[in-house]
Amino acid sequence: MTQHDPAVLSAALAAAETALNQAIALAPHSHQELNTLSGTLLGVDITSLDLTLYIELVTGTEIRLMSHCEREPHAFVRGTLEDFGALATSDDPAATLINSGIELQGSSASLITLQQVISRMEIDWEAPLVDVLGDVMGHQIAEGLRRFFRWGEGARASLKRQVSEYLLEEGRLTPPKAELEHFYDAVQSVAMRVERAQSRIEKLLAKAATRGTSQ
Amino acid sequence: MNDEATGRADHDENTTDFGFTRVDRKAKAGMVRGVFDSVASRYDLMNDLMSGGIHRLWKRFTIELSGARPGQTILDIAGGTGDLAARFSRLVGPEGQVILADINAAMLEVGRDRLIDKGATGNIEVVQADAQALPFEDNSVDCITIAFGLRNVTDKDMALRSMLRVLRPGGRLLVLEFSKPTSPLLGKIYDQYSFQILPAMGRMIAQDAESYRYLAESIRKHPDQDTLLGMMVEAGFAECRYHNMTGGIVAVHQGFKP
Repeated sequence: MTQHDPAVLSAALAAAETALNQAIALAPHSHQELNTLSGTLLGVDITSLDLTLYIELVTGTEIRLMSHCEREPHAFVRGTLEDFGALATSDDPAATLINSGIELQGSSASLITLQQVISRMEIDWEAPLVDVLGDVMGHQIAEGLRRFFRWGEGARASLKRQVSEYLLEEGRLTPPKAELEHFYDAVQSVAMRVERAQSRIEKLLAKAATRGTSQ
Repeated sequence: MNDEATGRADHDENTTDFGFTRVDRKAKAGMVRGVFDSVASRYDLMNDLMSGGIHRLWKRFTIELSGARPGQTILDIAGGTGDLAARFSRLVGPEGQVILADINAAMLEVGRDRLIDKGATGNIEVVQADAQALPFEDNSVDCITIAFGLRNVTDKDMALRSMLRVLRPGGRLLVLEFSKPTSPLLGKIYDQYSFQILPAMGRMIAQDAESYRYLAESIRKHPDQDTLLGMMVEAGFAECRYHNMTGGIVAVHQGFKP
């Protein structure tokens, strides 16, 4: 367990848990997907904060956050806050999980599914706004929020595409994805050959040492 | 360390602590009952005001430490208004059982009504019981919690032995209780708060300054972290440890039945 004051940690987790569960309650389309993960327990160790927490998907509408848990998690991940930030916002969580500094124990399937469900979550702001502000005002503000989020999403995608195009095509500052993957494969292949060579050398050295002692 | 300093029951005399005063050992239970009869209806509101809502966080962490699982039997002693029992009820599920026990009938009545209002019924049993002589079978409970209750018990050693008897082997006891701040500065601020602000709040909200003065005094007379740890070891608990919370104002002690 981490050395933080349990009351402070409990406050942070209680606030995050409430926010998450309220967001889930306002995103009914995600309930079915989350329901498939019911009973899943994930452990997260954020090394840069010296913080370990557990995420339990109780039902399709309830997530529980804990600072202490004795059950064996289905997946346990360890990394820095930056690593987890990159994973949370990644379009391809499986690739991010492999290429980042995150260490994984257990099955990655539930973690990847959860990341995808959360990133696809469409929160319907209209219901709580209508409850508080009435039908007309609530609908208008919700519509405004929807437009703003759509614009934000479009702007983000457009910016990402343009930056990518500039870096790849105009600036030629980074290699294309396929070339990079080919390079990673080559590096992986060299690493495996070096490992094989190293073990053969160790074997030969051991053999030579045995012969030396027997003569 | 003498009994006065540790807050432990004095076996040589017929008197014991009631806040800062010494009273007849047999009279203490009745006097404590009087205090809780007086504050029962507004107990949770006062707890929220006194702790700024932090008591919910202390209890949340205690529940995490319990490791409660579906099907288990949990005994919540001095469970009063039932906030721990309501959460345990969900964790143990329909195949498990939660026993809400308290020596004070007025607190239990408030707790029972509150649990019904929350819809927490079916797997909760409400029992009026003395922590020193628990009316349950040996080895019958997976986890015992006592939150802000042990300091009001006349003979704490006897209560700990009674809890050990009721627990199943491998079962755990969690004692959540006010304790000793780890920083002297925090201790001074806390003293001012306890003896000046707390009774004033009791007067304003519950029209009962004396009961809240007793609560503050009883906290000071309660054993500190290491003394309570020693008492648990002496009672027969194994793997005993404690976690300080909010600078040691509160500590949760954990021990297992070997």
